[in-house]
Amino acid sequence: MEFLGASECNLGILETLSDDTIQEITESYDGFFTTVESIVAGTGDSSVEKEFASHVYSLCKHGLDSLVRDHFLRSLEQAFEKRGASSFWHHFDAYSDKNHPSYGEEIKEVLCKALEEISIEKQYHEKCLSVVVHALQSFKDQSPEARLNSDVERVQLFSRFRSMLSSTLMTTLPQHFPEILHWYFKEKLEELSAIMDEDDTQERESDCMDLDEKLRSKNGEMDVDEGFSRHDDLVKNIGKVVRDLRSIGFTSMAENAYASAIFLLLKAKVHELAGDDYRTSVLGSIKEWIQTVPLQFLNALLSYLGDSVSYGTTSSGLTSPLACCPTPSFSKVVTPSEGIVRWKLRLEYFAYETLQDLRIAKLFEIIVDYPESSSAIEDLKQCLEYTGQHSKLVESFISSLKYRLLTAGASTNDILHQYVSTIKALRAIDPAGVFLEAVGEPIRDYLRGRKDTIKCIVTMLTDGSGGNANGSGNPGDSLLEELMRDDESQENVGFDDDFHTDDKQAWINASRWEPDPVEADPLKGSLSQRKVDILGMLVDIIGSKEQLVNEYRVMLAEKLLNKIDYDIDTEIRTVELLKIHFGEASMQRCEIMLNDLIDSKRVNTNIKKASSQTGAELGENELSVDNLTSTILSTNFWPPIQDEPLELPGPIDKLLSDYANRYHEIKTPRKLLWKKNLGTVKLELQFEDRAMQFTVSPTHAAIIMQFQEKKSWTSIDLAAAIGIPIEALNRRVNFWISKGVLRESTGTVSNANVYTLVESITDSGKNESEELLAGDEESERSIASVEDQLRKEMTIYEKFIMGMLTNFGNMALERIHNTLKMFCVADPSYDKSLQQLQSFLSGLVSEEKLEFREGMYLLKK
Amino acid sequence: MSPWLRKTEWHAVASWTWDAQDETCGICRMPFDGCCPDCKLPGDDCPLIWGACNHSFHLHCILKWVNSQTSQAHCPMCRREWQFKE
Ligand SMILES: [Zn+2]
Ligand SMILES: [Zn+2]
Ligand SMILES: [Zn+2]
Repeated sequence: MEFLGASECNLGILETLSDDTIQEITESYDGFFTTVESIVAGTGDSSVEKEFASHVYSLCKHGLDSLVRDHFLRSLEQAFEKRGASSFWHHFDAYSDKNHPSYGEEIKEVLCKALEEISIEKQYHEKCLSVVVHALQSFKDQSPEARLNSDVERVQLFSRFRSMLSSTLMTTLPQHFPEILHWYFKEKLEELSAIMDEDDTQERESDCMDLDEKLRSKNGEMDVDEGFSRHDDLVKNIGKVVRDLRSIGFTSMAENAYASAIFLLLKAKVHELAGDDYRTSVLGSIKEWIQTVPLQFLNALLSYLGDSVSYGTTSSGLTSPLACCPTPSFSKVVTPSEGIVRWKLRLEYFAYETLQDLRIAKLFEIIVDYPESSSAIEDLKQCLEYTGQHSKLVESFISSLKYRLLTAGASTNDILHQYVSTIKALRAIDPAGVFLEAVGEPIRDYLRGRKDTIKCIVTMLTDGSGGNANGSGNPGDSLLEELMRDDESQENVGFDDDFHTDDKQAWINASRWEPDPVEADPLKGSLSQRKVDILGMLVDIIGSKEQLVNEYRVMLAEKLLNKIDYDIDTEIRTVELLKIHFGEASMQRCEIMLNDLIDSKRVNTNIKKASSQTGAELGENELSVDNLTSTILSTNFWPPIQDEPLELPGPIDKLLSDYANRYHEIKTPRKLLWKKNLGTVKLELQFEDRAMQFTVSPTHAAIIMQFQEKKSWTSIDLAAAIGIPIEALNRRVNFWISKGVLRESTGTVSNANVYTLVESITDSGKNESEELLAGDEESERSIASVEDQLRKEMTIYEKFIMGMLTNFGNMALERIHNTLKMFCVADPSYDKSLQQLQSFLSGLVSEEKLEFREGMYLLKK
Repeated sequence: MSPWLRKTEWHAVASWTWDAQDETCGICRMPFDGCCPDCKLPGDDCPLIWGACNHSFHLHCILKWVNSQTSQAHCPMCRREWQFKE
């Protein structure tokens, strides 16, 4: 018997029952079963319900009420499985093997229809359930002690029914249904987003209209209403689907579906808005979009579902929930519900994180474009402040640096420019320079290993022409000028701040104080004091300001020696700037060099004046003093100058000694010592068919001037005549040969070269009166480079280093440095910096005497 | 000059020197072609001066020296009575 199995707990009662009673129970039992069947099947009328009620009454009387409930629910369950669930899922059978892009429009209707159907089915079942509740109720109404629990019966039964219903659906859930839901919400939200976009454009268009037109359209108010009601309909439509899903127990599935659709849409929107344009800020538009599309939708949805109705004016409950839907203009003061606030935070966090990840992935490009890309940097800064994921930036950026910048193919200049841009850009994100410290380290390490780093840094700092390709300054500005301007503007900002500070602001500032993040090096000063100092970070690469100044001095010397017009305004300005940063004392020698140029100009003028007063007649082959200018050096303060002997042609030599004599007259007892190989000579040569101008070194000039006397020279004779080694002569003569002025032929005497003047050079194809500069090869530099000087000074240690490496195999830079310090204490004692040693060692590496592997130096085998 | 070389503009480079017998000043030990410890610019601003004994010093150095002596000053090099060379 079925009921025995169903409620074993009642078995004990059976033994105490009389036969009559058993008879009554059996009859009621049979009658109950039959009536349940017809009620559930919907074939019974009111008489059946009455009969059903009496059977229930009878069974309850004998304490079998739980059997009544259980059996009724099971009957409903079976009926629901057969008619409700299977036909509900049947709607979606056609989509089981399709991917969501091919669902097509009709599935939205299919979903709505299926949900409608199952809701009707559910309502029907609930009606049936009311019948049994009613029957049980009428039994209980007669037993006074159970009266109070009357409502409990209904609530319990309905909740059992609902969980039965949703578990039935859940156990038969086809795999692709959540996907369909997700797709549905995605499509609907996109539709909604499109409507909002249209409104937006209309609004903007109406903003552009003049007042008349605006008024006219206000009278109509058609457009706005139309968009608005379409929006309402859409929300109502979606809301109904959510409500139906909730009613069949799919509350969280529905929520997941629309939440993931919202996030997906948001992600797509962020990607679309962000794009590859770094010149405009997108964070504002993203936030606005969150406000106008997903939040407004959620607001409308939640109020439609009755979950959250809490606006400025408490809802009376008389208006429909949709009436509270905020207008797109947000003119009403709305107090958002807690649910909406939470959604807003979730969506914004997600948007910030998405944008942040996008920008971090492209940070390298963004920094290349800096400062044009400063909007993107500002966005990224705000995102990071919100998410706190700075370490993500550091990691990702370092790896892109290593992959894209710190490679053999990149020029030192490019690396330096990117380094400076990185400092500038990251300074905006992180004014304390905490993350910059981490990002800058690999760049600095890499640059320290390059030989031309110091030179490039000094050039970038002081030279406007080659300097900042992507800087914010005026073209032709040096980085130093730019830094100076930055400092000035920052100071001005500081002044303004002070001016407006009141007590309240001071309090806010004080309460905002935070201890340094752990990443910061405690030795580098506290957050409030520390200011990112671009110059300091560049000096840090070089090692010391002395080295930077030294390198600059060599470059300045080279520049000044090539001046023929004494125009040094740029150099004066640069030295002034360097003085501000490095102190007057460090720039003393540079200042003396500049002063030499100023003095030279004055002396030159005085000498010219003195000689025009004497008015001596010029003899044949004599040159006027007007043909000569000079730069007079205080050699002790200049870097070592390569002084080579050179015999000048007679007239020039005479001119120089006259000039020197006049100098001595003016400046007694001071005397001039000519450095004949240095200087600049402008020549104009007249050929049969044309004149040509050249700007060359004195040695080049001395060579060509020898051809005034003789049209043809052997290399040996020519070298002897101008007093230079024959190899040096051959190298210089090439310049004139390449210009087509001299011709080379093999002479008769012991294979010495013969150079002959070309008097007509029509065949050379050179342009007329073109100004040509003599080859500025490395070997022709007049100033010994810092490297050369260092190399000379370091050579005595070379043997020692080689010996160490032979003994120890391989050694790191610092160990070599410390060993030298320890053992080379006298004559001469080792006094070089780590950076100087490194630069010397990298020289030995490039000469293939040493190898550098994994941070260690070893002998090249 | 031959008409072949039509124009010559020569910009030459020289260094100046005081043309003293010694390289360094016997008082401050700095090079004569540099300047005394109190000066910043060499040359006209920090001239050399010769004594009757033919020893030379930075003007500023010997003046300090002469002023520091309580009685008659002597040349720091040869100890002869210090007289400026006429
Ligand atoms: Zn002195
Ligand atoms: Zn002086
Ligand atoms: Zn003396």
